[in-house]
Amino acid sequence: MNSNQRIDRNMVIARHPKVSSLLTSIKKRGLDTLFRLVHYVILISISFVFIYPMLYLMSKSMMQSYDLADATVQWIPKGLSFANYDFAYENLIYVKSFFNSIMTSLTPALIQIISCAIVGYGFARYSFPGRGIWLALVVFTFLVPPQTLVVPLYIFFSELGWINTFLPFMVPAAFGHGLRGALFVLIFIQFFRGLPFQLEEAARIDGASAFRTFWSIMFPLARPAMLVVFLFSLVWHWNDVFQPSLYVFQNAQFNLTQMLTILNGQGEAELSLGAAAGSTGALVTIPTFANRIMAGALLTILPMLILYLFTQRYFVESAERAGIAGE
Amino acid sequence: MKKGLSMRTRHYFEGYSFISIWIVGFFLFMAIPLGQSLYYAFQELKITTEGLEPTYIGFQHFHEAFTIDLEFPTFLITTISSMLFQVPLILIFSIFIAMLLNRQFAGRALFRGIFFLPVIITSGAVLQKLRDNGAETLPIFRNYNLFTKLNDFIPPSILLPILEALDSLTVVMWDSGVQILIFLAGLQAISIQLYEAAKCDGATPWESFWKITFPMIMPMIFVNTLFTIVNSFTKADNLVMTYVQTVFRESNYGYASAIGWIYFLISFVVIGFVFFIFRKNLTERG
Repeated sequence: MNSNQRIDRNMVIARHPKVSSLLTSIKKRGLDTLFRLVHYVILISISFVFIYPMLYLMSKSMMQSYDLADATVQWIPKGLSFANYDFAYENLIYVKSFFNSIMTSLTPALIQIISCAIVGYGFARYSFPGRGIWLALVVFTFLVPPQTLVVPLYIFFSELGWINTFLPFMVPAAFGHGLRGALFVLIFIQFFRGLPFQLEEAARIDGASAFRTFWSIMFPLARPAMLVVFLFSLVWHWNDVFQPSLYVFQNAQFNLTQMLTILNGQGEAELSLGAAAGSTGALVTIPTFANRIMAGALLTILPMLILYLFTQRYFVESAERAGIAGE
Repeated sequence: MKKGLSMRTRHYFEGYSFISIWIVGFFLFMAIPLGQSLYYAFQELKITTEGLEPTYIGFQHFHEAFTIDLEFPTFLITTISSMLFQVPLILIFSIFIAMLLNRQFAGRALFRGIFFLPVIITSGAVLQKLRDNGAETLPIFRNYNLFTKLNDFIPPSILLPILEALDSLTVVMWDSGVQILIFLAGLQAISIQLYEAAKCDGATPWESFWKITFPMIMPMIFVNTLFTIVNSFTKADNLVMTYVQTVFRESNYGYASAIGWIYFLISFVVIGFVFFIFRKNLTERG
């Protein structure tokens, strides 16, 4: 729209008999092209910084020991081999750990969508005494570092017998808390605030109860906010290492990120063994193990990457529409 | 619309019933644990067969944290100083990127997709692995050749900090995914007419940034400052965070609570300062 107008104005100037103004319009167009070029150069170079680690992961995880010994190999390995992936897949106990990751990320994310929507709706559409204080407390919970609460929460959950189960991830989420629950409540507040009141009035006149109005009219409308909350919650839970390492101690319940840490520990052990065995041993084991871990790391984030690939468009669009930006 | 007293109380009741689950959760998972952790901070907790046995020791844990403990003060200082250094950089970088992405151009969707990639991978274990292997910092900056070549012209005492700053720039870029998203949403909300009007009055792009864009995205700057601070206080690779975990693992519960509270108080001082800076903006909006 802006550029169209500029072109229009340029055309007006060009039609003008004065040659000098024609020249300035040409100069301006040249400047525009230059500006666009600079714009792209900046964008592409910054994109490179973001893509670089992914390329690094892919490249290194494909490399075998002979590739590393070969000085001519910088990025592209000599042969196609998935040996590192086989190793990582087996040692991460992938299928089991994947399921555990689902339990510690997908379920709390789904629970948080519902609970935070209910709470957010209450804050956005009702005014009641004490609302301001509670809202301030929502912000407050977002700001409290989890370190402060580690000990009492651990004792609380262990008294309930919830250690080594997935309940510490799900129950707080069901109350609109859990990992960054306050932020999700704020997103829903922001979204519901923007909807017209007529929707509820119509439903209420038709005799629907407050909760029914919410559940069958307002909640389905909140799809953009739901998508944002779901994606953020899922990704943050998936990548979180703090909570799982506090509440889960049994190998059988370890999720992918925890298994990856173990894999790293094994690598370090093997490394020190190799170093003890002599310099030749260390030379072989150090790089290959790092490469296996790279493969493991890629396998760990692969589900999120695939999800992102498909939801990326909605993610960005709905983040704009959901008014994630606060006030 | 008639508003009888019963109508109003019903309205209050309905509002509270929606937020009631959050209030219950607040007491269960926030208020009570916070109080308990304050209580534990002043106790020596012994693990016995009947559970934890507290004995009151006063400020001993707090005293210990700053005098006897060698690691905690340094971890605390590193965490806070890196946060103070990174927050302004992240804010500037994310405004810049958001403005680049806000323009209409071919391939916009693709670039947006790339720029939010950090949201997916930065948090957590995978990034840690990458960082350990040096993938997060671009080789361009760390490159030995660059160092030795520039060394001829610039003394190393100046050169090294510059190269380190460039290194941390990549970290900054990786930490600004959500912030870019928030700024972008804010920029989208500004109507184009404002810019057009300013342009007609002869404002340069530089002027219209400071007179239109900047005041309009002030709330997003506030939100992002808060988010960035909270994020850096709770990051997985945060030294204090891992230290609390280590102390906790050693079953030194009283001490873990004490340093948790010290950390909490410091983070609130920082956050309170942010609220103080933005107070004018906050009161203006009511």
